Amino acid sequence: MTTESKQKSPAHALREYGSQTPGTKGIPGKRRYSMVIDLRKCIGCMSCVVACKAEYGVPLGVWRTWVMVADKGRYPDSRRIFMPRLCNHCDYPICVRNCPTQATFKHEEGFVLQRYNRCIGCRTCVIACPYNARHFLPAKRTNNNLPVLVVDKCTFCIHRVKKGLVPACVQACVGGARIFGDVNDPKSEVARLVAREKLTVLKPELGTSPSVYYIGGDWEIMDEPHNYKHRTAQQKEEFNTYKRNHHGDAFGDIVEGENTMYHVGKNMSDFLASIPHKFFDVVAALKKLLFA
Amino acid sequence: METIITYNAVHHNPWGTPITIYFWLVGASAGSFVLSAFGWVFGIKRYKPLALTASILAIVMLMIVPVLLIWDLGKPFRFIYLMLPGYWHGTAPMSWGTLLILSYPLSMFVYTYFVIKNNQKWAKITGIIAIVLALSTHWYTGVVMELNPGRYLNHTPLAPLLFLTGAFISGIGLMILVLWIQNQFTRPEKRIKWELMEEMAQYMMYGIVFDFFLLFLDFMQTQYGTASEYLAHGTVLMEIFFTPYIWLEIVIGLLIPLILLVTPLKRTRIGVYGAAFLVAVGVYGMRVWWVMGGQYIQSFY
Repeated sequence: MTTESKQKSPAHALREYGSQTPGTKGIPGKRRYSMVIDLRKCIGCMSCVVACKAEYGVPLGVWRTWVMVADKGRYPDSRRIFMPRLCNHCDYPICVRNCPTQATFKHEEGFVLQRYNRCIGCRTCVIACPYNARHFLPAKRTNNNLPVLVVDKCTFCIHRVKKGLVPACVQACVGGARIFGDVNDPKSEVARLVAREKLTVLKPELGTSPSVYYIGGDWEIMDEPHNYKHRTAQQKEEFNTYKRNHHGDAFGDIVEGENTMYHVGKNMSDFLASIPHKFFDVVAALKKLLFA
Repeated sequence: METIITYNAVHHNPWGTPITIYFWLVGASAGSFVLSAFGWVFGIKRYKPLALTASILAIVMLMIVPVLLIWDLGKPFRFIYLMLPGYWHGTAPMSWGTLLILSYPLSMFVYTYFVIKNNQKWAKITGIIAIVLALSTHWYTGVVMELNPGRYLNHTPLAPLLFLTGAFISGIGLMILVLWIQNQFTRPEKRIKWELMEEMAQYMMYGIVFDFFLLFLDFMQTQYGTASEYLAHGTVLMEIFFTPYIWLEIVIGLLIPLILLVTPLKRTRIGVYGAAFLVAVGVYGMRVWWVMGGQYIQSFY
């Protein structure tokens, strides 16, 4: 860590370890990209989700960004609330320090990025991420040039930001709920909002210092145990259906209300079934390397 | 006002059965190896006859581990990255584990060589190194999930102790069974004495008591801990993972063997072999709830 960042950063900045550059939040002359999501303006249209899916060809069943929906109160005093979710691009990301091959790293301008060519698909970062912001790419994709069987995540659309654009989800947001920018630039809208508004972040107790801030966040929708306990029956069913039909690799999915040990065994058979396509993936890569 | 979640994306649990089997195998391997070291490292001579069998059992179980771990990767042939200097990442628990999983079998091979050669001095030196590596390798399996503060069920410093205790008892259990089979095929004068089996079963009993104590500590932590910890125990373990947690680990793996080993049945073959079998099987239950249960709640967040 530089002397400059030691002076400017709070005490817990000492948690900066692993393959990451020192945090640049609050350091003049350095860029630090952040996102503020004004939940008062979110109408739950899911444009951001669609824009993200279109920008990256995100496969079915996994998300770089998604919008949680909740109903608050009882009729007639009820209202529907939304909460968009994405990678929090933490200042002290657990995923970065736990990645064994430095496949994921923290960019000094605030992006937490993934290098597919280094990723071995061990999914340690998925375990480490407290926000479910990472997903494992399936073995088969519609476009053969896209990566498979490695971990993927939101990049804050670095390729767009470097060209002076905002991330796809921000561009598509019809309510203007997502605001993106350099929080170190006092003239930016993000900096003004961070200075002026009451903000909340997800799981602040973990000390990850997220770069995604929420205005008007409801504590219940942000709370993990509350989420699990207060699901609708339809959501429970959807949860089980998803776990039952993953058609993927060896995930540790257990279906609620069914025999746990049966699913432990089924998971093992999925693992064995995944070996051939992983093997042929390697053969294809070797062929490409040797004969292309 | 109550908030009901009407839509949320659901997520997979990234680690599954291969990881649970790997944790069980490494544990049983470390446990067996401790028994092997009793004779050559700690100087308890009556354990020398079983040292070679214990070492070979530990090596065989550890040979299966790379197959599981490598094929569980999305890109199996990139496992080499874990060992390349430009890729190796010192802050990642998995990087420490890679070094341990590589060095532990090597040290066991060297130790076993000196045991076969009957070289006391070098068997002791290499045995000390191997036993440190054996315990560290299994310590790592606890740590690799513990150092994720977002996984509330796993994020406890008791994790390595729970794993090591489970390793100790399951290793002894498996060893007793292997020695029983070995005795069926060896000449009477070469057989492992029954008194030694009884003694090993006593060690297993102490381990079971300590495991119960650790589970009690973990239970207290969840009951007086955060909402997430409370939910992790009350809902995940007591409902969804009831079979591996209560039936497999506590009843089959700990309670029944404890009853067998504190009653006069401990002097009988059915008592000792039965307890050994149940412990070896039951410890697998802990690996299941630990790995899959720890990931459960967050898959809906």
